[in-house]
Amino acid sequence: MPPFRDEHILIIAPGSQVTLAQLGLPESFTPARFRFPTRMFPAEKKGEYEPYKIRERRQEVPVSNGNGTDAPKEDVEMKDAESAQQDGAVKTENEPSEQPENAQKTEGQDANGEEKQGTTTEIFYEEDVTSDEGAVYPIQSGRIVDWPCFFALLTHVYNTMSPPFHTPIMLISEPAWSARDRETITQFVFEKFKTPAFCLMDSALAVCYGYGTSTATVVDVGKDKVNVTAVTDFLVNEHGRGIALEGCGGDYMTDRIVELLGPKGFTREMCEQLKRSNITELLPPGTPLPGAAATARQGANPAASASTGTKDGNAPNENIPRGPGEGTQTGGEGNGEADEDEGVLDVAAIVSGNTSEFLANREKEKAEKASTKKGATDQSGKPLRLPNSKKEKASFQFEEYVRIEPEKDTPNGPGRYMRQSREIEVGVERFLAATPKQNSGDRLTGGLLEDIATQIHHTILAVPDATKRSELWDSLIVVGNGSKIKGFTQSLLGTITQKYILSPSATMFTSEIPSNFSTPLPTGGTNTPAPSGQAGPMNHPAGHGVNPLLVAATHANNPMPGTPSMDPAMSHHRSTGHSQTPTSVKTLRPPEYFPEWKEQSNTNAPGAATTGGPGAPSGGHGMEEAVFLGAQVASKVVFVIDQGVSKGFMSRVEYNENGPSAIHEYTM
Amino acid sequence: MNPSIPPSTAEYGGDEVSAIVLDPGFSTTRAGFAGEDTPKSLIPTYYGRYSSDGQSKLVFGDDIFVTPRPGLSIHNPMGRDGIVEDWDMAEKVWEYAFTSRLTGPKPGNPLQNGLNDVPEGELSTEMEGVETEEKLLADSPLLMSEPGWNPTKSREKTIELAMEKWGTPAFYLARNGVLSAFAAGKASALVIDIGASNISVTPVHDGMILKRGVQHSPLGGDYISSQIRALFKSNAPQPITITPHYLISSKTAVDAGQPPQAKYKTFAPDRAPDASYRTLLEERTLSEFKECVVQVWPGPNKLSATGPNGVSNEELAKSSPGRPFEFPDGYNQVFGVDRYKVVESLFDAKAAIPDPESAFPAPTPAQTVPELIKNALNGVDVDIRPHLLANVVVTGASSLLYGFTDRLNQELMQMFPGPRVRISAPGNTAERKFGSWIGGSILASLGTFHQMWISKKEFDEHGPNIVEKRCK
Repeated sequence: MPPFRDEHILIIAPGSQVTLAQLGLPESFTPARFRFPTRMFPAEKKGEYEPYKIRERRQEVPVSNGNGTDAPKEDVEMKDAESAQQDGAVKTENEPSEQPENAQKTEGQDANGEEKQGTTTEIFYEEDVTSDEGAVYPIQSGRIVDWPCFFALLTHVYNTMSPPFHTPIMLISEPAWSARDRETITQFVFEKFKTPAFCLMDSALAVCYGYGTSTATVVDVGKDKVNVTAVTDFLVNEHGRGIALEGCGGDYMTDRIVELLGPKGFTREMCEQLKRSNITELLPPGTPLPGAAATARQGANPAASASTGTKDGNAPNENIPRGPGEGTQTGGEGNGEADEDEGVLDVAAIVSGNTSEFLANREKEKAEKASTKKGATDQSGKPLRLPNSKKEKASFQFEEYVRIEPEKDTPNGPGRYMRQSREIEVGVERFLAATPKQNSGDRLTGGLLEDIATQIHHTILAVPDATKRSELWDSLIVVGNGSKIKGFTQSLLGTITQKYILSPSATMFTSEIPSNFSTPLPTGGTNTPAPSGQAGPMNHPAGHGVNPLLVAATHANNPMPGTPSMDPAMSHHRSTGHSQTPTSVKTLRPPEYFPEWKEQSNTNAPGAATTGGPGAPSGGHGMEEAVFLGAQVASKVVFVIDQGVSKGFMSRVEYNENGPSAIHEYTM
Repeated sequence: MNPSIPPSTAEYGGDEVSAIVLDPGFSTTRAGFAGEDTPKSLIPTYYGRYSSDGQSKLVFGDDIFVTPRPGLSIHNPMGRDGIVEDWDMAEKVWEYAFTSRLTGPKPGNPLQNGLNDVPEGELSTEMEGVETEEKLLADSPLLMSEPGWNPTKSREKTIELAMEKWGTPAFYLARNGVLSAFAAGKASALVIDIGASNISVTPVHDGMILKRGVQHSPLGGDYISSQIRALFKSNAPQPITITPHYLISSKTAVDAGQPPQAKYKTFAPDRAPDASYRTLLEERTLSEFKECVVQVWPGPNKLSATGPNGVSNEELAKSSPGRPFEFPDGYNQVFGVDRYKVVESLFDAKAAIPDPESAFPAPTPAQTVPELIKNALNGVDVDIRPHLLANVVVTGASSLLYGFTDRLNQELMQMFPGPRVRISAPGNTAERKFGSWIGGSILASLGTFHQMWISKKEFDEHGPNIVEKRCK
C-alpha cells in the first residue's frame, strides 16, 4: 500500500455535545477545524436524519402563467441580495438549489381562507440552524444510544469533509463503548466509507499523546459524565477505570446554579450562560466567599450563603434588560445601523455559506465589541478593580435568540433571528456551582469535585503496578469542556489534597528518622508547611502540608545539612513492596510547542479584568480539547510515520480477512 | 494508490466469532473474549441494593465503591465456599459483566441498526411478527470456570442458564484449577489458588483434576482481613477504627500515633448507607493495607520458631524497619512485627490472632496451606507426586502478599525434602490475579478445543446432565 499523506487523514472525535473533525494534518497541529453539534434531526422519511432542523413553511403564491416555482426563487434571491448587502458574506449561487427544489405544489389547497383563485400554497422547507427542537442526540453520557442517528452523523461529517478515497480514518472512541460497539463502528466505517485504513483510538490515550506523556491520569469532564482513566506506559488500565461516572459533568454545575437561582427567576438557559461566563468560578476549598458571606465557608452552608448575594432582589428576578444593551431593539429591516444589525442573524447567509466559519467570525466581532465596551464601563464605573473572586456581585451578558415573525411585506423571507443581550447581575451563587446539590437524587454526593476525587482515588488504587501509582498522582490531566469553568482544576486538586494526601509522618521516613526529626522545623525557606487542607491560592498544592524535610530529601540531590544520614538511597531502603500513595498530587503541564493551542488558551482565558487574582487559572485552559491534538499527533505517528508496522491501524485487507472483531488487536 | 480511484468492493464475508470466557469468583467476576491476554471486564461480584422512589434498585460494577447511595446495602450472590447461592442475582451480576464492556445491551434489531440497507418496501411487512429480540449471547460460545468442588446441581443450573437464558450456541464448564495450570503452560500441576474467600489446592494431571486430591479451606484474603481487624482492635496505644473515605470530608495531618483530626460527614439516618456498605469500603482500605504493609514471614521456619543462631525469628522480624500506614481519617502508625503476624496463621494455625467477634472461627491446623498441600498429595497416586511437586503453580490475588512464595517454597522444601520442588508463580500481577481466566482464554481459542464444546443441539437432546458427562 502506498504511504498515507498528511493531507488525506480524516480525524473524527465524537462527543456527547460536539463532534470534532478535520481532514488533513496541518503543519502545526491546530484545534479542530470543524465542530459539528452531535445531533441530528429526524427527516421526513422515517429512519433518515438531517443535520439541521427542517421547518415546513407554507405560503401563498400567485399563479402566474403556470410557472409557479419561479416566483419564490426570485423572492429568495432578492432577499439574499438584501442580506448580502448587510453581511457581505453570502454566496447567492447556492441558494436557489436549496429551497425551490423542495417546494411542492399543492394546488387547490386553502390554508388561510383567502381567495382560491390565482394562488397556490407552496410548501417550503428551510433549514433552521438555531433550533434544536426535536433533535436526536445519538451519544448520551458517552454511550451510543441511537445507532442509526449516530451513523447518520458520521456520514454527515464524512460527506461534509468529502475526503478522497485514499483516506485513512482516525476515530476517537469513548471509554463507555463496549467491545461490540467498537466492532459495529468498525464494520460501518469499512463498509460505508470504504476506507483503506482505520484506527479506533481511546480518548484517554489520545489525551496522553496530546500531552506527550506515557503515564497520566486523565480526567475527562463532559456534559453529564466524567471519565477517569489511568494510562501507564501508553496502556489504558481498563480495570478500575471510571467510565461515564454519571451526574458529574458540566450539567451538574448548571443544575446546581439552577437550584440556587431558579427561585429567583433564572431559567436554565440563563444559568447555562452564567456558568459559561467569566464571572463563574470555583474557589479552592476553604476560600471564604466575598462580601457579606465572608465568614461562611464554601460548602459549609451553601443555602445560607447563597441567599446573601442578591438581597436587593430587583436585579436578577425581573427580566428587565439592564442598561442600553446592544441589540435590544428589534432592528427594522432597513435601519442599517451597525449596532442593531449585529443582533440579527441571517439564516440564509449561514445556510449558504460556511456555517461554522460564519458564526465564528460573528462571535469574534461580538466579543471584540463587548470587551471594548465592557472595559470602558469597568473603568468608568469602578475605579477600584477587584478580582472576580473578591467581588460580591458581578454581572454577565445574557444572550438569546428571538425569532422574528416575518414581516408583512416580505412574508416569504427566510426565518430571521435576533440576538438580544442584557446584563444580569448575580451574587456569590456564581462560586457555588460545584457545591453539593440539595436534590442529589439517588446519589449521596459530596459535591461534584469530591465525587471525581473519589473516582480518581479508586482508579489509581486499581492500577496493578503499584510502583506507578505515585507517578499517576503526579500527572493528572483534566480535560473536557466541562472543566472549562475557571478554577476547576485548582479546586479539584484542593479537594484531593484535603481528602487523600498522606501526611508526611505516614510516609516512608517516619520509621527511619531519629525521633528528633519527627516534628521538623520549617526550614525558613519558601515551603513553610501550612496546615494541610488549605490548598490556598498557590499554584502547587503539592507543596502544601508536605514536610519540607521530606520534600528536600526526596527531591533535592544534596542532603540537607545536619542530616547526614538522609541520602536518597534511604528511600530504597524499604526494598519490600511499595508505599502508600498519594504523597503529592500535581497536574501535568500542557506541551508548549503548539502555538495554536496556546493562542486558544488566550482567547479562552476568562476575563482579562480578573487575571492576576489569587484564583487565576494556571495553565490548562485551551487544552480542554487536547484529545483532538492527541488525535493529530497519533494520526501522524500511526498513519504516516509508522505506516502500520506496529499494527497501529487496521487496513482494509485485514478487515476483509478477519472481520470487525479483529479491531481489538489494534491496540490504540 | 490513486486517491481518486475508488477501492475494490471486496468485502469481509466471514463470521469469525470469538468465545466469551467468564470466570466468576467470590470477590470479582472476570469476563472477556477468548484469545486476549487480560479480561476486558473486571467487576466486583458484590452488588448494591437500595430503594429510591419506592422502587428497589440495583447497582453493579465499580460504582458501588465510588458512589454512596441512600440506604445502599451490599450483597454477594456467591457463598463463602465459591458456590453460587442466589442464582437470580448471580445471573444479573454475570450479565452485567458481559454487557458493561463486551457485548453492550442486547443487540438491536439488525434491520434498524444502520448496518444493513433495507430496500424500500422489502421485508418490512412480513418481518413484523417475527420474534426480533435476540438473546444476550446468541452469537458467542461461552466458557465458564468453576471451583473443583462444585456440586452437580450447581453445574447443571449453570448450563441451563447459559443455554436457555443467554442462548449461547456452545458451552463448556472448566475447573479453574485446570485453567490456572494451562495459564502457566502446564498440563499437570499442583495448583495453589489463594483467593478472597477460599484457598484451594488442586492436583491436575493431563488436563484433568484429580478429584480426590482437591482441598480447600476458608483462609483466603477475607480471612486475612479479619485478622487485620483483630490486630487493630488489640492495637496499643489505642484501638484503630477504620473510617472509610466516604464518611470523611477532610482530614488534617497528625503525627504518628496521634488521634485523628478529621471532619466527618454525616448522613441523615433515613438516607445513610447500610452497615454492609461500610464493611465493603473498609475492605478497600484493608486491601491497601495488605498491599503496602502486610508481609509474610519468609522463613525458614515459622515466625514463632527460633533461628539457627539462637535468635528467635520474631526478634529478627522486629529488627527490620516498620512500615507506616495512614488511614483515611489521617491516623497513622508504623507497623512493626505485627504486619507479619496477620498472615502467619495461613501457615501456622496456632499463630492466629484471637478475635471472638470475628466471623471466621479460629483456624484448624488442617486448614493451613502446608496441610492442604500434604492432604492433596496424599489423595493422589504416589507415582505422580514428584511430578506435581515439580510443577507447583501459585495463583490468586491474595498470593501477591509480599513474601508469600518465598515462604511457600520454604515450607514445601521442609515437608518434602526428597523430590525436586519447583514453584511457578508469574511475577506479573495481572497473570497472578487472572490465572484461571487466562487459562480459559487460551483453552477457548485453541483449534483443538472446538470438538469439546457442548452445542445447543446436544443440550436439547441430552438435557443439563450432559455437563457431567462432558466437562470432567
